[in-house]
Amino acid sequence: MTTTDLFLQQAINGLSLGAMYALLALGFTLVYGILELINFSHFNVFMVGSFIALWVLQQFGLSGQDTLLYGLPLVGVLLAAFAVTMLATGVIGVGIERFMLRRLRNVKGPAAMITTIGVSYILFNIILLTVGADSKNFPNPLPPVQWAVGGAVLRLREVLIWIIATLLMLALTFFVQRTKMGRAMRATAQDAEAARMMGVEVDRVIMTAFFLGSALAGAGGLIFGLYYNFTSFLIGFNAGLRAFTAAVLGGIGNVPGAMLGGVIIGLVEAIGGQLIGSAWADVIIFAILVLVLVFRPAGLLGRLAPNKS
Amino acid sequence: MNAIATAFARPFATIPVVRRRQLGLVALTVFILAFPIVHNNDADIDSMANAAAYATLALGLNIVVGFAGLLDLGYAAFFAIGAYFYGVFTSFQVMPLWSDFWTPLATLGLVEKMNQGGPDLVHFTLSFWLALPGAAALAATFGVLFGVPTLRLRGDYLAIVTLGFGEIVPIVARNVDSVTNGAAGLNGVQAPRLFGWSFGIAAWPYYYVGMALVAFLIFVSIRLRDSRIGRAWMAIREDEVAASAMGVNLVQLKLLAFAMGAAFAGLTGVYYVAKLQTATPEMFGFPVSTMILVMVVLGGMGSVWGVVLGAAVLQLLQSWFLPDLTQWTHALGALVGNDWLQRVDFVESIELIFGIVLVVMMLFRREGLIPATRKTPALSFAAQHVAGVQRGGFTGLDRIGRWEQRRGNALEVRGLTVRFGGLTALDKVDVVVPAGGVVAVIGPNGSGKSTLFNVITGLIEAQEGKITFEGADILGLRPHQIVERGIARTFQNIRLFPNLTVLENVLIGQHSRLATGPLGAVLRLGRSRAEETAARRWALDIIALFGNRLAPRANQTVSGLSYANRRRVEVARALATRPRLLLLDEPTAGMNPAETLELAEQIKSLHALGLTILLIEHKLDVVTRLADTVVVLDHGDKIAEGRADEVRRDEAVLRAYLGRAAREAANV
Repeated sequence: MTTTDLFLQQAINGLSLGAMYALLALGFTLVYGILELINFSHFNVFMVGSFIALWVLQQFGLSGQDTLLYGLPLVGVLLAAFAVTMLATGVIGVGIERFMLRRLRNVKGPAAMITTIGVSYILFNIILLTVGADSKNFPNPLPPVQWAVGGAVLRLREVLIWIIATLLMLALTFFVQRTKMGRAMRATAQDAEAARMMGVEVDRVIMTAFFLGSALAGAGGLIFGLYYNFTSFLIGFNAGLRAFTAAVLGGIGNVPGAMLGGVIIGLVEAIGGQLIGSAWADVIIFAILVLVLVFRPAGLLGRLAPNKS
Repeated sequence: MNAIATAFARPFATIPVVRRRQLGLVALTVFILAFPIVHNNDADIDSMANAAAYATLALGLNIVVGFAGLLDLGYAAFFAIGAYFYGVFTSFQVMPLWSDFWTPLATLGLVEKMNQGGPDLVHFTLSFWLALPGAAALAATFGVLFGVPTLRLRGDYLAIVTLGFGEIVPIVARNVDSVTNGAAGLNGVQAPRLFGWSFGIAAWPYYYVGMALVAFLIFVSIRLRDSRIGRAWMAIREDEVAASAMGVNLVQLKLLAFAMGAAFAGLTGVYYVAKLQTATPEMFGFPVSTMILVMVVLGGMGSVWGVVLGAAVLQLLQSWFLPDLTQWTHALGALVGNDWLQRVDFVESIELIFGIVLVVMMLFRREGLIPATRKTPALSFAAQHVAGVQRGGFTGLDRIGRWEQRRGNALEVRGLTVRFGGLTALDKVDVVVPAGGVVAVIGPNGSGKSTLFNVITGLIEAQEGKITFEGADILGLRPHQIVERGIARTFQNIRLFPNLTVLENVLIGQHSRLATGPLGAVLRLGRSRAEETAARRWALDIIALFGNRLAPRANQTVSGLSYANRRRVEVARALATRPRLLLLDEPTAGMNPAETLELAEQIKSLHALGLTILLIEHKLDVVTRLADTVVVLDHGDKIAEGRADEVRRDEAVLRAYLGRAAREAANV
């Protein structure tokens, strides 16, 4: 492989990672935009999502890399897997909001953030204790179709991931921009008190934000499995930190910003890892996070979160 | 039976609280000293020594999270820095070639010449006792380096950045093999020596060193907490803006908290590695940071004894209770023939328990097992009325003495313009406050009055203009520097430190007038002690001005005070900064007519003392009673200035307040 091909290949990989980080970043941004809360439980809602997806695929009799599906059955299985996973993680997110965070909404200080750390830890350890510490093989029913792009290889799974992520992000953008609930959500993000006085049911808006964010994290978890062919109780931390960096890079609270940030972080991880060595990828991502926060806290597209003094 | 119990209980109940605490402390000390002698079990002594390490870590994190309110999720990184510092400089990992450069260090005993069959090499042999302060200083340095760019961030961003930092340090340790031996970890770390005798692998010497460290750090924590430094940290935790407006240098004190917490962790790192005699990257990852946070949360954020208890409880849970519980369950499983009960291992679920502890404590008992602020009961009806309710001016004014005052204009604001995006909040405004004068700023809501105060006190920036105080330019100074110059303020929407007492609030006002640093606070010798005593006396004198409105409530937390009393505490807190110019932002807002009159009298007596006052007020009778000059703002413009009765008849003022139509209607 020539250097150009190597970069092309890493760009393809990076776009796939970026699509996943973008989905995950949207969950951070939706919640932060309204509550100014870094939701650490999001890290492991994503991880649990990948295990739910694994379970769903196993229900269709899929395990390992041997069973391949084509045509309608493939579309059907994938649709079902995404639907069930997203619904399940969405419900988990709503549960976390309804039964824990809502009680702490008017408490000053780090109580809510500490609670999300606790929830994250609980999810992490539930999976560790029930499923075990070894990583699990994730079924991949996609046929091994691939195309040559220059000297690089573009596989069907990458194209599929891009299409699914784009569709989900388009759907979310439509929801936020064009529906009544989306408008209520934007209003609440600007000023929850004013929105409440205008008749917006703020509790429902917040629950919707948690549902959508967590559902997208579930989709991200399924994509992780399809992309890497494995899942483990450990995957939440790294992906979560990257996705949060993506949300901050794009401008936290900003929906298009989270998507842009996700793609950039994915590319940085793939290409930067190639250049400097993947062991240092975390250091690069972290350096980006600190630099953005210190020099451009509003991110690339501007921060759209309430400014509570 | 009951009578016997009372007979035993009664003498104990009659002992004063202070003496009871002392007795408790003595009992605890005796227990800790005697434990290894009485209970000669190496494993248990070792568990206790580990508990000591966790307690010191929890004490350090408590300074950062509990005192200063900065959520640090990567605290273990500083633990790692201390640990690797000792590990590298006492093991055989890094061995440069011997040269004459090392000879003086060899004389000091820090290195020794070594030959393993090649050229002469250097073997580092840093003493444990030197490594303790060395690692503390090194970790504190890293704390400052890391804090300078990040502590300006909002609190929630700080959490994620520290999380990242906590992740980076083990990665670096894993990847810089030549120094740290990578994932395999450092081996052959030297055991501490005392007068030539090596600690070896017995648990008891480490136990005593660990307990001594805990005792030392408890002492340091308590001394810091009860000092000028600790009060400033708690002020930052409660309300950053108010803290800076009361003279607290936010950046400096946050860095200090970070460095102090890091120093505790660095110290512990040395102790822990000396005890284990190995160091691997896994010992310092996110789970460790979380565990320490759990200890702090369980014990009570900000509570010194609480976090020690939290550390002890969790460590004993891990090393004693859960293994025992597992064995009992296995025995039960064998008895009833249940397979699952025989396999279950509760020690593995310790992290699940950590998560549950975090959630449960946050939902049901945020103040922890031993709350940092004790709840003082409200005054009884009798106590409130013991000397009749104070009315009119101040009491005990003679104890305050005359206020230092200079000549000329105290404050000059020239051509001040402030814009928020497209909105011009102040447009070329001039205000002059002569020394010893009282100037009132009035105007409809949104006319820019509070903006004017915020610019003068450095909370927001101006686009154009000049502000001088006693002839010196103060525009662009940070809030605490402006307080140091002699300007103090109150806030329209009261911004006290709600979980601190009246006395503590007023003491924080004196922050910029006191000099005690962290070392002075810990040692509390001569000058610091005298300064603290004088500060308390001055605070009590100020509180006493408000008679029995505040004096009997000096040790109540302000969140429990009435609205009018909270306004009075704000005035007292501002007075405590010894200002030469006092800015009062609607001091009587929300007070009833009697209370308003009382406060107006008090402001008048402050003026009589020689204090210069700039006042925002809506109540015109208060303005007329107090002000020499009245400045009227409307939509950011100054539309009138003059004596109160002149301004009242001014055409522009009437138009601004009543509208042109109303004015014309009144004329007809």
